[in-house]
Amino acid sequence: MALTGVQIFKLLPKTNCKKCGFPTCLAFAMKLAQGGIELSACPDVSDEAKSALGEASAPPIRSFALGTGATAAKMGGENVMFRHEKKFVNPSAIAVNIKDNDANLAATAEAVAGSEIDRVGQKLRIDAISIECASGDSATYEAAAKTVAEKAPGAAIILNCRDAAVIEAAAKAIADRKPLLYAATDETAEAMAAIAKANGLPLVASAKGLDALSALTEKIKGLGVEDIVLESGAESAKEIIEHNTQIRRAALKKSFKPLGYPIINSVIRDDSILETSIASVAIAKYSSIVVISSVEKWKNLVLFSQRQNLYTDPQVPMQVEQKIYEIGEPDKKAPLMITTNFSLTYFIVSGEIENSKVPSRLAVMDCEGLSVLTAWAAGKFTAAKIANFVNESGMADMVEVKELILPGQVAILSGALEDKLEGWKITIGPREANAIPTFLKGRE
Amino acid sequence: MIIIGEKISVIAKKVREAMDARDPKPIQDLAMEQWKAGAHFIDVNIGPAEDKGEDLMKWMVEIIQEKVQAPLCLDTTNASALEAGLKVHNNEWGKALINSTSNDPERFGMLELAAKYESEIIALTVGKGGLPADSEERCGIAAEIMGRAMEFGVPLENIYLDPLILQVCTTQDQAMHSMKAIQDFQDLNDPPMKTVVGLSNISNGVPRNMRSLIDKTYLVLLMYAGLTAAIANPLDKDLVDVMKTTDLFLNKSLYADSYLDM
Amino acid sequence: MSFVVPKESFGGKVLAVDFGKEGSKLTIGGETTLPFLAFEGEVPNRPVVAYEIQDCAPEDWPETVQSIYKDVSGDPVSWAKYCQETLGAKAIALRLVSTHPDRGDRSAEAAAQTIKDVLAAINIPLIILGSNHIEKDATVLVAAAEAASGYNCIIGKAQEGNYKTIVAAALAHNHKLIAMSELDINLAKQLNILITQMGFDKEKLITDPMCSALGYGLEYTYSVMERIRLAGLAQNDPTMQPPIVGDVGMYVWKVKETVASGNDVPEWGELEERSISWETVTATSMMLSGSNLLIMRHPRAVENVEKTIDELM
Repeated sequence: MALTGVQIFKLLPKTNCKKCGFPTCLAFAMKLAQGGIELSACPDVSDEAKSALGEASAPPIRSFALGTGATAAKMGGENVMFRHEKKFVNPSAIAVNIKDNDANLAATAEAVAGSEIDRVGQKLRIDAISIECASGDSATYEAAAKTVAEKAPGAAIILNCRDAAVIEAAAKAIADRKPLLYAATDETAEAMAAIAKANGLPLVASAKGLDALSALTEKIKGLGVEDIVLESGAESAKEIIEHNTQIRRAALKKSFKPLGYPIINSVIRDDSILETSIASVAIAKYSSIVVISSVEKWKNLVLFSQRQNLYTDPQVPMQVEQKIYEIGEPDKKAPLMITTNFSLTYFIVSGEIENSKVPSRLAVMDCEGLSVLTAWAAGKFTAAKIANFVNESGMADMVEVKELILPGQVAILSGALEDKLEGWKITIGPREANAIPTFLKGRE
Repeated sequence: MIIIGEKISVIAKKVREAMDARDPKPIQDLAMEQWKAGAHFIDVNIGPAEDKGEDLMKWMVEIIQEKVQAPLCLDTTNASALEAGLKVHNNEWGKALINSTSNDPERFGMLELAAKYESEIIALTVGKGGLPADSEERCGIAAEIMGRAMEFGVPLENIYLDPLILQVCTTQDQAMHSMKAIQDFQDLNDPPMKTVVGLSNISNGVPRNMRSLIDKTYLVLLMYAGLTAAIANPLDKDLVDVMKTTDLFLNKSLYADSYLDM
Repeated sequence: MSFVVPKESFGGKVLAVDFGKEGSKLTIGGETTLPFLAFEGEVPNRPVVAYEIQDCAPEDWPETVQSIYKDVSGDPVSWAKYCQETLGAKAIALRLVSTHPDRGDRSAEAAAQTIKDVLAAINIPLIILGSNHIEKDATVLVAAAEAASGYNCIIGKAQEGNYKTIVAAALAHNHKLIAMSELDINLAKQLNILITQMGFDKEKLITDPMCSALGYGLEYTYSVMERIRLAGLAQNDPTMQPPIVGDVGMYVWKVKETVASGNDVPEWGELEERSISWETVTATSMMLSGSNLLIMRHPRAVENVEKTIDELM
């Protein structure tokens, strides 16, 4: 088990000398526990503390980046088996595979470079390109690597080639992009590790089954390569879910270091929709890199959405955008309701408005994703703030009669709100969303 | 165990009406009752109090301390209302307690007030948007707040760390994480950090007839974890009896047949 | 260091529930571990995918899925036969949409007749769903349970506001029952307790913790289902051991991603593939988090989910 910040703090000098750059020893300890800095930043740490902190302060699943720069995909560093326990930290990278002698190589690289879309405020993209060595020729492979590096300047690159003699030139040529070498087997471990080490690159350890894989990562680590990615030979969805579960459990529950690394899964299938489905299995079940066969916009959207859903922080309420949502086709006489921007509140309230079949406007106000009552208690959904939102959003121009329907749970605000919003009538709506259809239909 | 009497709150209709009408009697009576029942602080929760909050808080502090010789816990998100209360707070019976600062930048100003008026302050270990997942995250936030407090010149002895108690009926696993945080908070400084909870949060949303049972049972566990103070209802005699009994087991008070009467 | 397979053994198991008439019965549930982890427990039954049909033309379904059924959807009997015979459906879920006061307000008696007609036309198991109108469902599902007496159907959904009469009817006519609550594990448990306190056998119950579509709260359903499974298996909580249903189609086939054409939103790509994979991936995610029964609409989505199950079993 990794040490917590408090456990580390107890081993520090507690002088608050600030030499580490943090205001207190406690703040330094907290940062150390998150893996953000090294213990050596503390000049006064005792030898006893050093030895106690050594291995134990390392996270159970090693964390490092795939690729370089702002769009590099962080991998590993996970702490839990289930997302409700605590956030899944680093979303699975999605990689598209292409053969080095494919005529569409450059076009695919360009498609990846242009794959970024905006979804609920996040910029999502295909993270990596896996270049498969189909030619078997070192020069062709190196040229392909250079082409991809040039055409997709933001993407991470995976050199999908098992022959050390062929991969070496490509690895050297694009070493500044930190390509992932994919992969070393028991037979090629020495040669591949040497290339990885010489160029400072991460390396996939590929073996059939977790016994052999554990032995192989130990061997590669012994050869001086720290950044290792696991390939267990899982092909079917069943193997993916079983192997990945066992790997994650071994690392987290048993502190089994030989499997404390990110996982790569290839999910390539003939049918693109089936491939999307199997990719969603890998994303949900602990894969750090999911290799697919094609970049289609619809497929990207589906996989980005699923990944985004499952990697949201269950502690941070998902938020929807602050705006006036139109439900049905509201005219100027349609009712105008207000609520907060907690996404579940929005989904449920808008769903009930839909059920009522009464075209309406729903004004959603940014309250940092809190539900109505919580937002009110936290001072985010107060009369002054609501009045401000009403005035700035231009709601008055959307309706014929200035009437705002307030959630019943904050009926207490209606008086203050009427004082602050001249000319507006404040109506108290239902306390619970399921009463909305009756409420709206009763108004007609 | 320090009790912060929670009854004077804007959420209670009777209190809200008295506040609106500036009718001192109901508020003074509630303060007196709680004080007699053993409350060490009287919480004064005026809500966000956007309009004339300064006047209201000043008035509340004055009318309560006119009758009750106890320090008050000033509870509002409105910093200028809070300051108006601190200005007139009588420190003869103890420092005022500010409720609260947190890791939300909107609440940083509370630390400045705590330094300026040398009051104590509750630090809620939450940030902006989102709740801490476990004790570790709460300690991380506590560490940040403590660092900030030192910059503002608030001594750590004046801080009560609050892990934020969440309702058991929807966020059950958090009950354990908050308990663990009460333990861990104490390790964050020497002498140990003081801790506080809003106890009745644990039973929010459960059927009314079960609330007292849930509050009491959780209180025992929190006390065992080392809790310093609780914002709670001192008029709940069962709760106070449970508190006194737990103090016996923890060897913090001396047994006599009539210990409940003391 | 040598690798030891980290197995977990649980005290509880998911209850196995069968539905359909003798000879054409299907069984769901029965697993003793988390979804598809056959290396450490039993996973005896495949998740079942049921085709959703309605008792009226599906005018509010998006074109991509509406057009598949355009020749049969005017009549629930033809629609049911098409699913069974042409699409090879393993089960059918008939939703009595037209009984909803805003959707035609057809009577309980009319609904009962529809059920009889559909049952007479098919030989695969039937799931009977109300229109999700609390008050109306309380009468419609009672009539439906009677009309389907002897067919061992699944009827639903019983909710906090109407469970009493529906439970009594399911009990009287020996059907299985879906208990639905809204994305809250504590409410799901509470409803299952209330239903079993009426004398309804927990081994005839199916939990619906409410589905959500990919991109629209999927993560809430995903986590509630995972937590239900863990409560049933690890805490051995009998009220959390019934199989889980994911009512996928109705949540998926209304979101923008299954409606907007590729011309309207070019960065989203082709509508056909997009919407079908939207339903597929929603269903796959539900299976991974614990669904034993899926209710779906598009044949190609069903086909891909079946292939995914083939790989997972």
